[in-house]
Amino acid sequence: MSLPDRIDPRPPRRIYRWDLDKTYLQTEFDSIRDILRTAFQKAHEKQAVPGASALIRELAANGDSRLCIVSGSPRQMRSVLEEKLKLDGVVWDEFVLKDNVGNLMRGRFRALRGQVGYKLPAILESRALAPLEAEEVLFGDDAEADAFIYSLYADMVAGRVDERVLSQILSQAAVYPDEVERVHAAWKKIAVSDPVRRIFIHLDRLTPPAHFADYGPRVVPIFNYFQAALVLLADGHLTAPQVIKVAVEMVQTAGHNIITLSNSFQDLLRRGLPLQQAAAALVQALEGPNALLQALRPMPDIISAFTKRLAALGTEPAPPPARAVDYLAMLHHALPRTHKARKPPPA
Amino acid sequence: MAIKPVTIAFDVMGSDHGPAEVIRGAAQLSLESPHIHALLVGDRAVIDDVLAATRHSGERISVQHASGFIAMDEKPGEALARKPDASVSVAARLVAEGEADALVSAGNTGACVLACARHFQLLPGVRRAALAAVYPTRMRHGGKEDPFSLILDVGATVEATADDLVTFAVMGAAYARIISRNEQPKVALLSNGTESTKGPRHVVEAHAKIAGLPGMQFLGNVEGVDIPKGTADVVVTDGFVGNVCLKMLEGVHETVFELAQYAHKESLRWRAGLAMLAGGIQRIKDITDWEQYGGAPVLGFDRIFIKAHGRSHARAIANAGKIAAKAAANELGKSIQQGLAR
Repeated sequence: MSLPDRIDPRPPRRIYRWDLDKTYLQTEFDSIRDILRTAFQKAHEKQAVPGASALIRELAANGDSRLCIVSGSPRQMRSVLEEKLKLDGVVWDEFVLKDNVGNLMRGRFRALRGQVGYKLPAILESRALAPLEAEEVLFGDDAEADAFIYSLYADMVAGRVDERVLSQILSQAAVYPDEVERVHAAWKKIAVSDPVRRIFIHLDRLTPPAHFADYGPRVVPIFNYFQAALVLLADGHLTAPQVIKVAVEMVQTAGHNIITLSNSFQDLLRRGLPLQQAAAALVQALEGPNALLQALRPMPDIISAFTKRLAALGTEPAPPPARAVDYLAMLHHALPRTHKARKPPPA
Repeated sequence: MAIKPVTIAFDVMGSDHGPAEVIRGAAQLSLESPHIHALLVGDRAVIDDVLAATRHSGERISVQHASGFIAMDEKPGEALARKPDASVSVAARLVAEGEADALVSAGNTGACVLACARHFQLLPGVRRAALAAVYPTRMRHGGKEDPFSLILDVGATVEATADDLVTFAVMGAAYARIISRNEQPKVALLSNGTESTKGPRHVVEAHAKIAGLPGMQFLGNVEGVDIPKGTADVVVTDGFVGNVCLKMLEGVHETVFELAQYAHKESLRWRAGLAMLAGGIQRIKDITDWEQYGGAPVLGFDRIFIKAHGRSHARAIANAGKIAAKAAANELGKSIQQGLAR
C-alpha cells in the first residue's frame, strides 16, 4: 500500500479575519436602491476598497497564514462574491456568509440586522479550531459593530471577560438563545491565550477616530489600507517592499499620490503609533532598485514628503495608553447603526 | 481629467472662536473637496484633540506644529518680532517655500498682512498690497450670480497714490474674473461725484489712467450710495476711505437688525408685521450671509492669502479654503501680472 499523495499544510502562524462589505468591498447599503444594486451587481462590477486586495495578497505571501472571512452578506451572494475574490487574486480559507433567508423564514427579524449574534459565534467557532499559538489580526469597518465584536472576542479568548458581563452583553444585544448557546459552547472549547494583535477599523463612514479610543491602542481606525500596511510593517507582519506594493496598488487604481500617502503616514504618527522605524525601513526600500517603484516616482519627493511630515510634528507624540475595555458602558456600540438606542459618533 | 491637488495652509490659532472652529472648517473641507488638502498650522496637541473627535479625511489633512500665536489685541510688528514661531508666520513661511499653495487665516489682520509681507514677494509692478473685502449688494454679479461685490483697499494702504489705485483696479478685476467667474467685471473708482474731475487729485489722476487700460470695463466714478446697490463688481479706493466705508456698512447692517429686534419687543402689531415679513427677512439674511463667501484676499503678493473674518465659524473657514484653492488653481498671481503688463 502506498502512502497517500498528500502533505498536511503547516499550521497557521497568523490568522487574518476580514469582514467583507465596507472593509474589503466598497458597498453601499444606505437606501433600498443601494441594497438592490448591490444584490444584482456582477462580480466584475464590484469594487474593492483601494489597497485591500494587495494587502491580503501580501499577508498571504509568507505562506503561514489563514484568511477567514465572515461577512454579513446573504449566502445567496456566495458565488458572485467568490468570483470577485478570485478576480482579485484573493485566496481564502474560510468564508462564512449570513443566512438571511433562513432568518426571514423563521421570523428572526432581529437577526437580519444584528451582528453580535452572528459574528461572535462564527469567529469563536473558527478560533476553537485554530492552533493555540496562532496570532490574529482582524479587519472590520465603522458601519456596524465590528470594533465592539472583535474587541469582545479578543478579550473573551484572553480570559478578560467574565460570564456575567458576557451574559449582559448578549441579552442587551438581543441575541437569540441558540446563538447565545453557540457563543458559550465555542468559548468553552478555546484554551485561554492572548492572540489578537490588532483590530483595524476601516473608516468607511469617516467616523472620528476618537470614537474608538475607549477600545485602547489595539484598535486602530484607518482611513486606508496603506495605513494598515504601515502598522503591520511595524508589527512585523509585512516587509517594507510589501508595503510599497500596497501603496502602488492604491496609486495605480485609486488616484492616491504623494500627498495622500504622506498625510496618511503622519495621521498615524499623530495618534501615537510607533512608526518611526517602519518609516526608516520604507525610505530604505524606496531608495533601492525596484521596477515596481516606477509607479511611485519621483522617489526623492516621496522620501522628502515623509521626512517633512515627520519633522513637522516636532517632538515625538506619546503612544495612546492601554486600557481595559468597559463593554457594558459601550453596549450601544453593539447595536445596529439604525437602532434607536445607538448613540451617534461625535460630529 | 483629474483636478490638480491644491494644499491650503490654515493658521489655526488666530480666530475669535479659538482653534476648534478653524480645525472643524478644514475637516469639513477635507470631506467636501477631494482635491483640496489642508495643512493645519498651530499647536499640535490642540489640533490632534479636535481632529480626533471630528469627522474628517486623514488622507487630506496634515499638521505643522507651531508653538506660538498672535492674539487679536497684540501689536502686529512687535508680536511678530517677539514670536518667530507664531502660527501665522510659520504658515506664511510654508506657503512661501511651496509646501502649500495658499494661506487662510482668521487671525489678527495686521499680523497676517505683515507676515505675508515678510515671507511673500510683491508682484512685479505692484508697489503696495491691497486688502479686499466682499460686501453684500442688491445686484448679482458674474457667472456665479454672486450677491457680493469687492471693495479694495480696506486698510492695507492708508494713503494710496494714483498708480496704486490703478494696480488695485487690475488686481480686483483679475480676482472677480477667477472667483466670481465674471469675464468682464465692472470696475469703478469711489469718489464724491460721478464726474471724472471729481475727487482729490490722486483719484482724478487714477480715473484717467484706468480709463486708458485696455480690456478693462471701467464704469468711471461711483459714489458711496452705489456700494450697497452693487453698481460695480469691483470698487477701488484707498485703505483709509475703504475701511471707513466697510465699517459703516457693517454698522448699518447691525443697526437694521437691532431695530428689528426693538420693534419685535415693542408692540404686538409690529411683531405681527415682522412675522409676516419673516420669509423676506430670512432671504435678506441668506443673501447677506458673509459666511457663504468665507473670506477676502490680500492682493498683490506672489502667493495667495485669504483673510477670513475673525468671527468665522467652520462653514466660513471651509469656504475660505475653497476660495483660496480656486485662486491658487487658476493662478491668480499670473492673471494679475498679465493685467498689469497690458
